[in-house]
Amino acid sequence: MADAMRAPASLAERRAPAESLGPREFLSFRLDADTYAVALAGIREIVSPPPVTEVPRAPPDIIGICSVRGLLVTVIDLRRRLRLPEAPPSRLSRILLANTEPGEVVGLFVDEVRQVVRLGASELELTANVLGGDLADHVLGVGRPDGDFVVLLDLNRIVGT
Amino acid sequence: MTDGIDKAREEFFSEAQELVESLSRNLLALDASLKRGTLDPSLVNEAFRAVHTLKGLAGLFGAKRVGALSHRLEDVLDGLRLGRLALTVEVLDLLFRAVEIYSAALAAERSKSDDPLPHLDDIIGEFGRIGSTAPAQKNTLARFELDAAMLAVLTEYEEHRLRTSVEQGLLLYRVRVDFDLATIDKALEDIKARAKVHGEVITYLPTGSATSTDTIELDLLLASSSTEEELRDSLSGERVSVAAIPVRSPASQPKATAPPERDGASRPPPLPSLVPRRGDVVSERAPIMEPPAEQAAALRAVAQTVRVDIRKLDALMNVVGELAIVKNTLGRLAERIRAEGHRQLGSELHSVQRSFDRRLGELQGGILEVRMVPLGQVFDRLARVVRQIGREMDKDIRLVITGAETEIDKLIVEELSDPLMHVVRNAIDHGIEHADERRRVGKPVAGTIALNAFQKGNHAVIEVEDDGRGIDERAILRRAVALGKVGPDDIGQLARNEILNLVFLPGLSTREEASDYSGRGVGMDVVKTNISKLGGVIDLHSETDIGTKLTITLPVTLAIVSALLVRVAGRVFAMPLTSVAEAISLNEAEIRTLDGREVTTLRGVTLPVCRLAKIFGLAPLPGSAPHRRGYIVVASLGSRRLGFAVDDLHGQQDIVIKALGKSLSRVRGFSGATELGDQRVALVLDPAALIEEMFSGEVVRERRLSHG
Amino acid sequence: MPKILIVEDSFSMRAFVRSALEGDRAELGDVDVVEATGGFDALRLLPRGPYDLVITDINMPDINGLELIHFIRTNEHHRSTPILLISTQSSERDRARGLSLGADGYLAKPFSVDDLRTAAKAQLARSKPGGTTK
Repeated sequence: MADAMRAPASLAERRAPAESLGPREFLSFRLDADTYAVALAGIREIVSPPPVTEVPRAPPDIIGICSVRGLLVTVIDLRRRLRLPEAPPSRLSRILLANTEPGEVVGLFVDEVRQVVRLGASELELTANVLGGDLADHVLGVGRPDGDFVVLLDLNRIVGT
Repeated sequence: MTDGIDKAREEFFSEAQELVESLSRNLLALDASLKRGTLDPSLVNEAFRAVHTLKGLAGLFGAKRVGALSHRLEDVLDGLRLGRLALTVEVLDLLFRAVEIYSAALAAERSKSDDPLPHLDDIIGEFGRIGSTAPAQKNTLARFELDAAMLAVLTEYEEHRLRTSVEQGLLLYRVRVDFDLATIDKALEDIKARAKVHGEVITYLPTGSATSTDTIELDLLLASSSTEEELRDSLSGERVSVAAIPVRSPASQPKATAPPERDGASRPPPLPSLVPRRGDVVSERAPIMEPPAEQAAALRAVAQTVRVDIRKLDALMNVVGELAIVKNTLGRLAERIRAEGHRQLGSELHSVQRSFDRRLGELQGGILEVRMVPLGQVFDRLARVVRQIGREMDKDIRLVITGAETEIDKLIVEELSDPLMHVVRNAIDHGIEHADERRRVGKPVAGTIALNAFQKGNHAVIEVEDDGRGIDERAILRRAVALGKVGPDDIGQLARNEILNLVFLPGLSTREEASDYSGRGVGMDVVKTNISKLGGVIDLHSETDIGTKLTITLPVTLAIVSALLVRVAGRVFAMPLTSVAEAISLNEAEIRTLDGREVTTLRGVTLPVCRLAKIFGLAPLPGSAPHRRGYIVVASLGSRRLGFAVDDLHGQQDIVIKALGKSLSRVRGFSGATELGDQRVALVLDPAALIEEMFSGEVVRERRLSHG
Repeated sequence: MPKILIVEDSFSMRAFVRSALEGDRAELGDVDVVEATGGFDALRLLPRGPYDLVITDINMPDINGLELIHFIRTNEHHRSTPILLISTQSSERDRARGLSLGADGYLAKPFSVDDLRTAAKAQLARSKPGGTTK
């Protein structure tokens, strides 16, 4: 999977100092052909996508809204947010419900949920390879669990807190 | 375990808020009484008690700044009630300012913020500078043969009241009443009310001799100018006896300071007037100079209430919403059972569903009622603002409040306070003329601001009216042209109310130069936006030199509504029934274009038409059958009407509207979403916003187009 | 299980005292806290005693705390009930009166949860069998 990373040639240094982190748990998932992950602590639930109602006039990367046990969830299309090519949902698609401030429940639409990954300091690289200029702050860095290649996303940036 | 203390802390903020509100009402009443030159000591005492309680609570819950402020206020109010300090307008001003600062201090405390509160420190300093004089301690109590044991159980305040009464030349009586413990509340209110007509009850003393274990005997110590006969006639009864407390004979009085005033030898000074005079601040909800008996009854009523966290009510409403879905499912099941041939069973289930529906309606109604609070809450705050601004602008303002008992959802009330304050500020600042100008045009020197509220179907209507100079149309037009909102050539085309409504455009209703007090003023556009967010509309009416009237129409509740389900381009939307006037068949042949807009005619009147599929950019879903006919749902809000063109009607349903999240806050046209059952979600249309969209800013452009 | 009557017209103060007393299972054990909203309410609730402790504020409208203390001390059913006074720092005179009328102790506002528990424990110990009673 090492060649799957479509990083542009230019690398930008993260302006923020690299935090020293102990081993942290991430939830990895697939978008298109690549593996991404977000901090596990930020995810409260994984659900099979219920019917999603589109919201006219909403920003393009919001697929719509759905209901999970009575809770209204705003569903974000991560592919569109990260400027990846579109693809129809599959039977493996899932919605990750994120812990946000009270007032909104945000769901991330992903193609497939992989696994919980534990990354120690040596497997984390926080100086980010960015995907694109204005998405620089969506990416925390890169993880290499057992030689695999996982792009770590900043959940806070994605849900917009 | 800390849960308990945290919960108690929440109760503290709740109680503190109520105490501040009650303090505010007391101060308003004191203000009114000061204007009349009278003083009701119980008002000062109540204000003192409120602040005293606040101080104690603040100390308990570690709210230092609230405590410090309360301490100062308590000193001042104690001085006032013990007669060491005179009540002047300046002192009242300070007290009113303190009330405003309380809210800020409590909010800071609640959010545990350390931000400095400069106003707080300032006012604490100012309080410190109020001097007081120690009262000359006269041995007045020796005038009467008072039981030492009874004197021993009087608090300092009660002793002061007793002294004051005696100094004023009142007589003392002991009214002994025997109560049944079971009915003591009511019986007590009764005897209090009757006794207070005659004078002041200093204290209530249990005598300790009960005739049985379920009765109790109390002595009321009454200071009154009535004679013993009068009191006996009025109060005596089977279980009530009246006895005068004998005056000590002059020979045994240690140091008489004034000759005994028996037999009416010199008329005792009149008791403070308790009856409101006309022409002063009039409030129908709580007459400002309510006789204390009613106040006590009102206090009792408050004690019967239960404090509820509104989030709990939201949770209950959610459950009701879920039950509504269950009810609908039951209905569908009954249909299916009947369709499959089990008529008897189907009918029975149907009848169960109907009965469930009725009970659910009652439950829903009950919860909604709990959420409702009287508008008087907001009106009280406005009364303070009126007084404050009136003084700062040196304008005499008379505030008339009616309909304060009109109820509206608590959440709406919280959001209303700011817009209403802005409206009132503008009315006093821009509307009401200065005294000399008013005299010149023959108006009473005091300007009148009238706040009125009433219920109209599922809406609450709030009117704010002033008798000022009215809105200057030419000034509005000038401003609008200067800001580019109206072309200079279009001025002549605008109808009068279109001109007035220009006031709601951003930038229009602020002063050109900042006045000392209100700065540039707050724009009416902000007020309108706030009202729209609550699903309401605002209308303006004005006449030169006569006055201006603003009418705000609001839905009574945001929580659960009856909605009409409609289908547009294959998707289902919900429209609150409160805004729906009717639904008619859509006949394409009857739709024509007028001034660039689609309209139809309904009973001879032109009705603008809005195609939802078009404004939402909805393409028909793949695989959906093309619709043959459609419908027009006529929405009416305030004085405006709009017909929404939809493909199909799907019947009525009770829905719980849930707010859309922050990421969707910029999307206009929806007031939320609701779950329809089987996890399907439908967006709830916001007719007010859509009507706004259709009509806003298009007026002038339209004219230009058609004459261009 | 000790039965405690709290007489106080501020409801958040009552809530505070209740949480403080109920929250100390280790030392106070399970307690039965009865709330009275004022002097009159206390009179109505007294027959539901006997109480192991009465905690009362002084400044209450209508029947004040001093009158309540006097009533309790002159009432044959309750005269030996320990009474704890709640008063403000500055009202020395009222506090002195309360003590002379027969209150067993006082707490001056503002007081902490610990202060309250310590005082309550001390008074409860007195009414236990084997302890000294008034």
